[in-house]
Amino acid sequence: MLERGSVALLLGNEAIARAAIEAGVGFAAAYPGTPSTEVVESLAEVAKEIGMHVEWSTNEKVSFEAAYAASIAGVRALVAMKHVGLNVASDILMSSAYTGVNSGLLVVSADDPSQHSSQNEQDNRWYGLLSHLPVVEPWCPRNAYRLTKVSYEISEKYRLPVILRTTTRLSHTRQPIVYEADVPREVRTRGSFKKDVERYVLVPAHSRKLKEALMKKWEEIREDLGVEPFISIENPGLRRAIVASGISYAHVDEALNLMNMRNDFTVVRVSMPVPLPVKPMKELLSYAKSILVVEELDPVVELQLSKIVVEESASVELYGKDYVPANYELSLEIVYKSIKAFLGEEPSAPWSGVEPVKLEPQVPPRPPTLCPGCPHRNTFYVAKVAANKAGVRDLIYTGDIGCYTLGYLPPFRVQDTSLEMGGSIGVAHGLSLVVEDTVIAVIGDSTFYHAGLPPSINVVYNGGRALILVLDNLCTAMTGHQPHPGTGLTATGEKAERMFIEDFLKSMGFKTYVIDPMNVGESIGEFVKAYREHLSGKHVAVVSRMKCALEVLRAARARGIALPKYAITDACTGCMACVNLLGCPAIVVEEGSRKPRILEEACAGCGLCAYVCPYDAIVVSREGGAGWRELWH
Amino acid sequence: MALKRFNILIAGVGGQGLLTLGELIGNAAIESGVDVTVAEVHGLSQRGGSVVVHVRLGPGSSPVIPKGAADLIIGLEAIETARYIDYASRESLVVMDSFIWPPPLSKHPSLKQIVGELSGRVKLFVIDASRIAREELKAAVAANVVLLGYSLALSKEFRNYVDLEAAVKAVRRVFRGKAVEVNEKALIRGYSEGGSLGVK
Ligand SMILES: Cc1ncc(C[n+]2csc(CCOP(=O)(O)OP(=O)(O)O)c2C)c(N)n1
Repeated sequence: MLERGSVALLLGNEAIARAAIEAGVGFAAAYPGTPSTEVVESLAEVAKEIGMHVEWSTNEKVSFEAAYAASIAGVRALVAMKHVGLNVASDILMSSAYTGVNSGLLVVSADDPSQHSSQNEQDNRWYGLLSHLPVVEPWCPRNAYRLTKVSYEISEKYRLPVILRTTTRLSHTRQPIVYEADVPREVRTRGSFKKDVERYVLVPAHSRKLKEALMKKWEEIREDLGVEPFISIENPGLRRAIVASGISYAHVDEALNLMNMRNDFTVVRVSMPVPLPVKPMKELLSYAKSILVVEELDPVVELQLSKIVVEESASVELYGKDYVPANYELSLEIVYKSIKAFLGEEPSAPWSGVEPVKLEPQVPPRPPTLCPGCPHRNTFYVAKVAANKAGVRDLIYTGDIGCYTLGYLPPFRVQDTSLEMGGSIGVAHGLSLVVEDTVIAVIGDSTFYHAGLPPSINVVYNGGRALILVLDNLCTAMTGHQPHPGTGLTATGEKAERMFIEDFLKSMGFKTYVIDPMNVGESIGEFVKAYREHLSGKHVAVVSRMKCALEVLRAARARGIALPKYAITDACTGCMACVNLLGCPAIVVEEGSRKPRILEEACAGCGLCAYVCPYDAIVVSREGGAGWRELWH
Repeated sequence: MALKRFNILIAGVGGQGLLTLGELIGNAAIESGVDVTVAEVHGLSQRGGSVVVHVRLGPGSSPVIPKGAADLIIGLEAIETARYIDYASRESLVVMDSFIWPPPLSKHPSLKQIVGELSGRVKLFVIDASRIAREELKAAVAANVVLLGYSLALSKEFRNYVDLEAAVKAVRRVFRGKAVEVNEKALIRGYSEGGSLGVK
């Protein structure tokens, strides 16, 4: 690995990982989730070299517990997750604050303002207030590198986990970073657990005392940490001030430069929004008469500051969400306008873009779609045709979270709900007990291991009528193809015990069918049987197993195996069945043409279009090389 | 006040090598001793979604380019270039591949319509980068680097931040093995195509 003094263009997430390595982290665990994934992914790449333990855990709660355990046993640890992951891990988060930790524990929480790839937009700084744990919020990747190391120091000083809050923009922006240190030659990866029931057994008699101790630490942090690098004050003493938390500071910084107003404001850069340090705020209130708080999403700093204003009986006008939007991520453009509005000026920006194009047809939206060769396409087609054949008319598809969520779109429409991971089965169970329709829960493999087991057990235990369909593409595709317990591989590429989803379902009492949706006709037959069995009153599940096409393409390239290619012949009548039934991005209809064409470079050779063509007009134009079929399994 | 930031928006379809192009320019900046942020704006990890990368050369840390503030737009696909054209101002340079890849099941404007619309708004340069990469370089994926070479040749302001030499060094930093050679060729091929236009 690169040594001290080297410069590398790192993503915010990679900067956090590198800093954690330099800080001597010996244990890292996570469940993937955008935008947090690259933190632990980059640690996994170098785990063997460093000798540290890195794992993809089955879910965030499990990963938190594992990292917490390492830390109380004296090994510096890291756990990373997307914002909603912390909901799953919130139980242990709360308890970990009570017991505290021994070696540093960093909890990376990556929030997703604007919901680029999430089901909600929650601001996880609230978790700091809820759990009474400090939240550190960097303002750029370089600052994330620095604050990660500092966070380990305060974690050990106060013996508390520290929440490092990043956002999508910070996690996914690259910046040149100069390495301040080498990779430590020796990393502590073994520890020992010192028993202490009053600390680690949270019965009320113990945890009441621990709560009091926690609140004492909380007050200490509020009093002590109002210093660099948690808070810094530029141009102190002015009547007008801007308080900017996290990445908002980067926007404020550039906006004031562009306005040529750098010296007209006191600027307070907040890198510890929770708990907001008191001293520098009191100092600010001694001279500032008008303050704008700029922060992304909720008014977490603003509310804490307004309490200090009341306590100090300060005569100050305090603004925040009055001018700064609470929805969506902030940007230079938005912050520029917010500051203008705060100044009582027209909230306009100095840039003007050219008119958007006005064309007929319009520029079409390009939402993410299932890739060419995506196994979910095959499974959805099979499931729908089979439902028809089995005479199942009124069907509700409760969906879940993963690439397959895209099945809500035409032409499939096989996701009627999608709420949170594992929700498909729990919701299907409840619906199945109160509606007449057939209810089928559609869930991905990784999601099944994450949160699908308890609700599946519940279906059988409580007599639900939900049919379960597990889409096993042999990876966690949506977040970048991480392995899971069904793959037989660990995060660091070691062999692991392979567990099959059907074995779990069978042991619960589900009659379980395993299909290979590349064999379309056969799979339809099996699925029809599954529906019939379900209608006869049995607990039924289907596991559809075919590898993610992107993984297949990668393996084909690596091993030099050609995949078959398909083409459309003159037998095509232009009926558009392939186009309308499958929505495959590799099948296009060019301007002025009445017939579709297959883009050879995009075709993954799954052959589903050849199966659906009523005129047998789609044929193999290039045979696959020896062993191509095995790549899909 | 410090040097103004030079803003490059890269637009295209997921899987076309936009992130790599962003990394290349970022590394070229490191080679030139220029500060840079490279923001990757993409939704889910599937191929085929709309992707943009914001590259901002020069000091500062706010990563996203305001609408109207892009000095250069590099469009790897025509529909995506049209979608993000409001990031350009009348002075902006827009360099676009003639490649068009419509989303499935969509009605869409033609390449000709798009070129017509855009050329009334910005300084537009269209190049058959995908064809050059596929036919001449036998590497369809190298279209992104052809576009980079072309853009460098066309924009003197861009070259004030990173020059061809820095871009070549960046290719060597970012790629490994055979890919280094192919991409160096792609860079030079794009550069000479741009140079031949005699624009400054
Ligand atoms: C609690 C939580 N953790 C993580 C995520 C991020 N995430 C979205 S989908 C997904 C997994 C999808 O994998 P899988 O179920 O195998 O479906 P695939 O994408 O492979 O089709 C993850 C980890 C999330 N949305 N919520």
